[in-house]
Amino acid sequence: MAPKKIEPKKPEPKRPEPKKEEAPAPAPVPETPKEPELDLKSILLEFTADQIEEFKDAFTLFDETPTGEMKISYAQCGDVLRALGHNPTNADVLTVLGKPKAEDMNTKYLDFETFLPMLQHISRAKNQGTFEDFVEGLRVFDKEGNGTVMGAELRHVLATLGEKMTEDEVDRLMAGQEDANGCINYTSFIKHILSG
Amino acid sequence: MVIYWCEILNHFFFLNRQDLAAVLIQRWYRQYAARMEMRRRYTWNIFQSMEYADLQDQIKLYNFLGYLMDNFTPSSSERNLISHIFRENEVCRDAEWERYFSYTNIDVPDIYSGPRLTFPLDMDQAADLVEAFKNKQQLHSRYVLQLLLETWKLLRVLPNINRVSTCHSKEITICGDLHGQLEDLLLIFYKNGMPSLEKPYVFNGDYVDRGKDSMEILLILFAFLLVFPGNVYLNRGNHEDHIINLRYGFTKEVLNKYKLHGKRILKLLQKIFSWLPLVTVIDQRVLIVHGGISDTTDLALIARYVSSLRPPKKKTPSRTNVYADSERYVEMVICKNRRGSLTFPKPFDARESFQRRSLQDFSSTVARTLEEEFEVRRRQAEFSLSSFSKSHRILSSALSSDSEPESSEFTDTGNDEWKQILDLLWSDPMSHNGCIPNEVRGGGCYWGPDVTEDFLNRHSLQLIIRSHECKQDGYEFCHNRKVLTLFSASNYYEVGSNRGAFIRLGPDLVPYFVQYQATRMTRGLSFPQNVKRTEHTALKILREQLFVHKSDLLSAFQEIDKENMGLICLNDWASAIERVLHLDLPWRVLHPQLVSSTTDGKLDYHGWFRDLALKKPSSEHIEQTMLETLYRHRSTLETIFRIVDTNNSGLITFEDFRQTLKLLSAYLKMEISDEVINELVISTDTNNDGSIDIDEFMEAFRLVDKSRLKRGKSLLKLMQDNQSLPQETETPQTVYSTAPQTSQCPASQPADPPASNTTDSACSQTANPPASQTADSPGSLTEDCPASQTEDLCHISVVVPPQ
Repeated sequence: MAPKKIEPKKPEPKRPEPKKEEAPAPAPVPETPKEPELDLKSILLEFTADQIEEFKDAFTLFDETPTGEMKISYAQCGDVLRALGHNPTNADVLTVLGKPKAEDMNTKYLDFETFLPMLQHISRAKNQGTFEDFVEGLRVFDKEGNGTVMGAELRHVLATLGEKMTEDEVDRLMAGQEDANGCINYTSFIKHILSG
Repeated sequence: MVIYWCEILNHFFFLNRQDLAAVLIQRWYRQYAARMEMRRRYTWNIFQSMEYADLQDQIKLYNFLGYLMDNFTPSSSERNLISHIFRENEVCRDAEWERYFSYTNIDVPDIYSGPRLTFPLDMDQAADLVEAFKNKQQLHSRYVLQLLLETWKLLRVLPNINRVSTCHSKEITICGDLHGQLEDLLLIFYKNGMPSLEKPYVFNGDYVDRGKDSMEILLILFAFLLVFPGNVYLNRGNHEDHIINLRYGFTKEVLNKYKLHGKRILKLLQKIFSWLPLVTVIDQRVLIVHGGISDTTDLALIARYVSSLRPPKKKTPSRTNVYADSERYVEMVICKNRRGSLTFPKPFDARESFQRRSLQDFSSTVARTLEEEFEVRRRQAEFSLSSFSKSHRILSSALSSDSEPESSEFTDTGNDEWKQILDLLWSDPMSHNGCIPNEVRGGGCYWGPDVTEDFLNRHSLQLIIRSHECKQDGYEFCHNRKVLTLFSASNYYEVGSNRGAFIRLGPDLVPYFVQYQATRMTRGLSFPQNVKRTEHTALKILREQLFVHKSDLLSAFQEIDKENMGLICLNDWASAIERVLHLDLPWRVLHPQLVSSTTDGKLDYHGWFRDLALKKPSSEHIEQTMLETLYRHRSTLETIFRIVDTNNSGLITFEDFRQTLKLLSAYLKMEISDEVINELVISTDTNNDGSIDIDEFMEAFRLVDKSRLKRGKSLLKLMQDNQSLPQETETPQTVYSTAPQTSQCPASQPADPPASNTTDSACSQTANPPASQTADSPGSLTEDCPASQTEDLCHISVVVPPQ
């Protein structure tokens, strides 16, 4: 299985907000508002029994313990959250895991009961991002405003900015997307990602 | 000044925007990747469960054969059919066998352009043979028979246990299951070099079945065995067995490739298989065996001379007893005059002296007369492990429950020795302690880490290397890294489903892994496209299973839907399916793929069933349960048909067809009337001359999923409109026998719409190297094969596990 490479934590300037880039920022780098400690125990589960069954199925798929103990590693937590339809940032995932140390990611495990409140918390996040947000994001790199971005530039950006992606991840993402000139039509690119 | 600040701010905003955009894209990508991973996992689960379900089918076949043997009487009209089926078990003397296998009368025409072998073989000829097969040539039957005869002669003097040494710093290469996939063997040879004096190889069984080039693999392995008998070691696998071959495609392959002499070749192979060694031991520290062990495995027993076995005769009709009246059939004897060593052998130095020693041992342990030798050896050919596996259970229960006088003929040691062999070739490891019979496979056991520990200690071993189970990465450790499963057939379930692996073992006895994937079909497909394609196949197979259990599912749904609204909620749908199918699959995760639409979260299950339909026979006159039953047993039916079709014409007579179905109906205690049989015949569009085309009949039992058909066609059209699709010169061959389908015939094409061959987005790039995905590979390299040499081979990663 591809081990999810967890990037080292980076200071997050602010949460990515859709459609707000044009508004003038208040100051150069706003202080990260001190987030209240995430208390998983206080989260009320609002899922139905049916939903929980479905989540359990997905959770079991990622259980790699030899005796099927219904546990996943911290490193897998992000995958399961995403497989269930959310798209938290890596920072979000680490927060919900209680800011574990890097070496804990592959050695510590969580069971389904512990996972559920995490899922609930993530599912409440307002800024999941829509198709339009995604297009906007890519449009930032559309230098000529013609609906295409340079593949090479996108690769560079994804590997060096934000929550950096590895070369493998970038390759996977871009496979078959660039045309003969190395350009990517980003509307179809997005459709490719969203249809996944 | 203001302008200057504005510029800085603008610049900063821009950078910030880029950062934000990057994070957004990265989030979406990671979600996409996670979904892909989930799909990959459940696809794998489906294949594994299907494989287990398929093994149940196999047991059905044995049960049916056993039933046939029990219940035919000399006077019944079925007799001809039965004797037809079992005719291959005629016994002759060795002299007669040699005449039967004689190849000297076979002429090789001038136009034959394949290899012409001269014996004794040398290395160049072996290499030429590999090259010829790579170029899709076929070896002439004369040379096939000759090669096989030489192999048979050699195997008869080899011990049950191969003993190998890593002296002189030689690394030994070990390969797992190949299952007729020639590309994988070629890939291994390309990467690792062919067998030679410097390069010893051990092959761990299952060379044949499922893949389409089983014959070629065998010929290559035997050729190298003949050229380097001290450097090539072959273990027997559970597929080296003629009854299994009937079911899983090897028999068919041979009969198709060698229309004139196929049957003789098969007979000779049957003998060869039963003479293959069972186990290989390296440096007395590492055990290599195809299946595994049990808590009673005793290597000393394996090595010893195995006595003859004569099972009890049938006493009363009421007892289910596999052995009916025919004495010829029941005399199944294993006799291998192997190295008679009850104690662990002393270490030896050079391989050459070992070879001489084994021959000496052979001669010195002969305690019987020459006639007895011949007698014992000729019987050995009748042995089929697989048919014994069922009989073994019956016999052991027969022995334990009552004491019939006949059973005294049955020695306990004989029974033990049979069990030993079954355990070696059929067992699977499990994670819990203990040792329980392997009910799924019908032979061997499931053994736990405690059994491993005990076994290794008892025999002073440190590692067990086995195969027998497909692993996604080509290999997998278990039992505290004391057991290693090694699987060398990549793309086993479907193109892209898994990698293959082989290992090199030097004097330090630390395995060095090489993984690979024969990617001729998938070149040009990215990882997600691979996943989607594999998923498509898995779902197709799953739908077939759903169809087979339609009646049971319908009852389960109706039980829940008490008001008979025809609607059921998804959760109930999922639990009902699990209750009926027992496949332990994530149905709720799978439901979007299996269910096309729901209203208000409820499924119209009648409509859903209508979408799971058979192509034909038309179901108007044949009721649903009948169709399901036939569908469920179609692989058994097909196997019987093929046995009956003795001249391999592809046709069987109407009378034989009718008799087979009648026997099946009696066995299943289910009435299959003449009207139904007629209906079946008519609806499969036969040529009305009293014979039935087997392929055409089996083709009728192919499922069609109408909703996907429509979707697939429109998708294809869309792609064709938008982009130009890459030309595919070859239809990918789906070699999945987990599908209880007729894909035993290599040339059969999926009858599905073209959408099964294409993917969602055309790809103009070359394949990406699959990232080495093992968790313990910090220092992995990926190598590209030089394109000039290897159009077929791609992307091998080398993994060094942590010490």
